[in-house]
Amino acid sequence: MRTYRTFVLGAAMLALLLSACSSGEGNGSSADASTPAGSQAAGSQAADLPEITIGSAGFWESAVVAEIYAQALEKAGFTVERELELGARDVTHPALVDGQIDIMPEYIGGYLAVTYGGEPTSDVEESLEALRTELEADGLVALEPTPGTDADGFAVRQETADELGLATMSDLAEVADQLRWGVAQECAENPNCGPGLERVYGIDFDSLDVETLGACNSAIAEALNANNIDVAQVCTTQPEIAAFGLVLLEDDKGLAPAQNIVPVVRQELMDAAGDLIESTLNPISELLTTEELTNLGNQVVINGESYEDAAAQWLEDNGF
Amino acid sequence: MGATEGVDVIEFLGEVAAWFADPGTWSGQNGIPARLVEHLWVSAISLAASLAIGLPLGLFIGHTGRGALAAVSVANIGRAVPSLGLMGIAFLALLPLGLAIGPLPAIIALAALGVPPILVNAHAGLREVDPELVEAARGVGMSEWQVLWRVEVPVALPVILAGVRTSAVQIVATATLAAAVGGGTLGQQILIGFNVGDQVRIFGTALVVALLSIGTELLFAWIQRAATSPGLRGRPHVPTQPAQVGRGGGESGSWGS
Repeated sequence: MRTYRTFVLGAAMLALLLSACSSGEGNGSSADASTPAGSQAAGSQAADLPEITIGSAGFWESAVVAEIYAQALEKAGFTVERELELGARDVTHPALVDGQIDIMPEYIGGYLAVTYGGEPTSDVEESLEALRTELEADGLVALEPTPGTDADGFAVRQETADELGLATMSDLAEVADQLRWGVAQECAENPNCGPGLERVYGIDFDSLDVETLGACNSAIAEALNANNIDVAQVCTTQPEIAAFGLVLLEDDKGLAPAQNIVPVVRQELMDAAGDLIESTLNPISELLTTEELTNLGNQVVINGESYEDAAAQWLEDNGF
Repeated sequence: MGATEGVDVIEFLGEVAAWFADPGTWSGQNGIPARLVEHLWVSAISLAASLAIGLPLGLFIGHTGRGALAAVSVANIGRAVPSLGLMGIAFLALLPLGLAIGPLPAIIALAALGVPPILVNAHAGLREVDPELVEAARGVGMSEWQVLWRVEVPVALPVILAGVRTSAVQIVATATLAAAVGGGTLGQQILIGFNVGDQVRIFGTALVVALLSIGTELLFAWIQRAATSPGLRGRPHVPTQPAQVGRGGGESGSWGS
């Protein structure tokens, strides 16, 4: 009896220890990324340039793009503070409006819909115009958008694409009922997913062979890659697309709202910095295609590079 | 500030009530009834698998005393493996077989979650049977098999069933995991709530899961009571309770913590 109790106690302690160890690992990879890359206040130009704080949302893409902004602005002579991975828009938007951060990468459609209750379309210019109108009232400015978009999309295996000749969503619509689909749990009720597939591409969603998983997570990509499904709802810049060599189908009829990335900057900072912010960040946005963003994700998420290294490498590769 | 929060909470609970009253909540593929059936189905299969593994093992080591330390150690350490992680491993392992999507990865994780309480309680229940009783049974010429089924198991039944009850409640409360890999269950409603930012749906569904767990607890408590031999019931000194932990009479036995 006594030994049994002692044993149970010991085992329970061990259990506690083990679970404590296993639950901690999620935080490790990102912790070092928010460390400032060293102040460069000593630079000769820095004297009359305003100090900038760059923020990002709480996930890799926002953080790595923010880090690219940060390093480019440091090269341009600014002193830059980083507040990466702050969280969701209920944190980042007030931080921008209040001036705790000055710049952060944002998604046109998501920002417009979530923060301002607007209705983004698949038209980038139209959605950006609507966003800019809203931002103005908050003393914020959106610079030029990236060609790359991080929207909901659909991917297939290379072999499926080759076999059935799939390159676009319209191609997919032709063979939709022959394939096993993996979609997000909420797809059937999301106007841009189930009902949208029907509205825009004439795919009868209810008649499809559908499994529900989490969109944009690695499980759905693994399931696609391992032939458990044939079509996966993905995020268009999801790192696994590059890692597994999946084929992202082109949204040729414009189902997904524009989720191109824009640097959102406080008007005050724009006024203080002249056009140096625009001239630094716009050329960067111009080069960030969906593929470039996916590759950056592959580096930081799959290969575990730090945001700092991935951003530095990207800037170097692109001649900044 | 506090007053505003109070109003917010009342408002939120009002929305939850409205959600429960909405016929849409109760119909269709994502309605509570359809998901509830899935939830119970996944839970029942998982519990059956836990029983199929844990009970024979627990009875064997409890009766013979062989391998007890190893089995109970493994069972207890197994408790430390998070079910979500185990389901992830099962998912990856099932990918090459084309079985990764659906309830199977969750059933594997839930069955593993359910084994330790069953095994540990079966073992402990048998070990705590009065040795003189077992000797007497042998003395009157019972075979080992008869000693097990006619003496040890009936006497240890409350403790064994307490283990089953703990397993069942844990499984029902954790079955929501299945939604992450296409297994449906009430977890699907919770995940959708997270994905579309619908706190009312998350809270309402979580409430249903909690009620279901409580219902499971009550059902198995009733079974436990009904299955206990009248000779063992209501005696102040019952030799089948190894650890007097928790609720009245220490029914939860060695898995009381």
